[in-house]
Amino acid sequence: MGPEFGRLAYVRHVITYTLSPFEQRPFANYFRVGLPNTWRRFRSSVFRVTPPFVVAYAVYSWGTEENERLKRKNPADYANDQ
Amino acid sequence: MAHQLRKSHPLLKLVNHSLIDLPTPSNISYWWNFGSLLGFTLLIQLASGILLMMHFLADDSLAFMSVAYTSREVWYGWLIRSLHANGASLFFLCTFLHIGRGVYYGSYLNENTWNIGVLLLLLLMATAFMGYVLPWGQMSFWGATVITNLMSAIPYVGDSIVTWIWGGPSVNSATLTRFTTLHFLLPFILMATILTHLIFLHERGSFNPLGLISNADKIPFHPYFSAKDAMGMALATVLLMTLTFYFPNLLGDPENFTPADPMKTPDHIKPEWYFLFAYTILRSIPNKLMGVIAMFASILVLLLLPALHTSKRQSMSLRPLSQLLFWTLIADFFILTWIGGQPVQNPYTLIGQTASFIYFFTILILLPLAGMIENLLIKPLRYRP
Repeated sequence: MGPEFGRLAYVRHVITYTLSPFEQRPFANYFRVGLPNTWRRFRSSVFRVTPPFVVAYAVYSWGTEENERLKRKNPADYANDQ
Repeated sequence: MAHQLRKSHPLLKLVNHSLIDLPTPSNISYWWNFGSLLGFTLLIQLASGILLMMHFLADDSLAFMSVAYTSREVWYGWLIRSLHANGASLFFLCTFLHIGRGVYYGSYLNENTWNIGVLLLLLLMATAFMGYVLPWGQMSFWGATVITNLMSAIPYVGDSIVTWIWGGPSVNSATLTRFTTLHFLLPFILMATILTHLIFLHERGSFNPLGLISNADKIPFHPYFSAKDAMGMALATVLLMTLTFYFPNLLGDPENFTPADPMKTPDHIKPEWYFLFAYTILRSIPNKLMGVIAMFASILVLLLLPALHTSKRQSMSLRPLSQLLFWTLIADFFILTWIGGQPVQNPYTLIGQTASFIYFFTILILLPLAGMIENLLIKPLRYRP
């Protein structure tokens, strides 16, 4: 039932080389390459992800203030009261 | 080769095919954790729910007291109750993130799995709605009153349907007992539906973030993704325990600490946070029937996504315009949720109506349009002999 190992795909002329984990450093270049790469990934997606949330926050902020303002009396209406 | 029981035993080979030797794309990200997290959360809800049911009394004069008794007198009753209430929030959080993954990565193109998923969402919402009624607090009673009353908008038969659901002229003890029965029953139907969801998924295998066929690069589910899923469950447990132990009432409504009183309507009737987006859409249309239709449409529109997919590429991972619209949809979902918890005053009504319009406009018009524009932007591959 469903795909199984052994009958997934036929791939020819692909040679893979691997290094034994005992011949590797486990966190090689974790900061030296990792941090610049994280910055690169952030830069490439930040202007697609954040603008809608900036707009949404502006709407939330304005909406909350406007609702408060509408619940208050306007002092100018009572300026000439004696 | 040594005889491997997990491959030959009639029952074990089902477990083997789903959780051990299942060929899984090597590049699925953390967004693929939420399926198993949902199963994990369901088990928490089942266990805590059955334990709560052992002490719950499904009568309108006893329900509130029985929940208070469970919390105060039953050993770790407070913990079981808090786990169940906050577990519901975790359930919906994982559901929304799971659906978001589906929308972003084009998982809806596996139509059978997707359609069953929408059914699962509806079953979950029904279960959660009825479960919230059981403690018989003010918000339990009045939330049930508001939402069941919506069915009266159905032409001709609406009032009869509502009276039939209530078991009387208003929400009463009969309503509570039948909601208790259904709240106990539906999770088992949910489990069976989840099994069919997984059967259809495993026919084709999981998709992956690139949206490309990954048959040439699959790895066994165990140990790679069993370990990753276990880590996801550990993180979800930390989140659930933080809520349960430190902020047990953060997501709840204080009104539900007051026993239900049919003679006293709360100032602000609103559902739990996970229903607020639908509540906004419901209230955005002045006409009652159209509001109900819009509310159901906000869920059922998910069924249209396969037909609305215009892009030549499955995933949004290499489609910037669609990505911007997707995050607009998510931000709009946050706005809808915020507005659902606000009273019906200006400018919340205007914002709610605008956000409801944006929700449908983005899904039905803008996202398909973006797909078509992005198709034109794909550079054609030039054949060089």
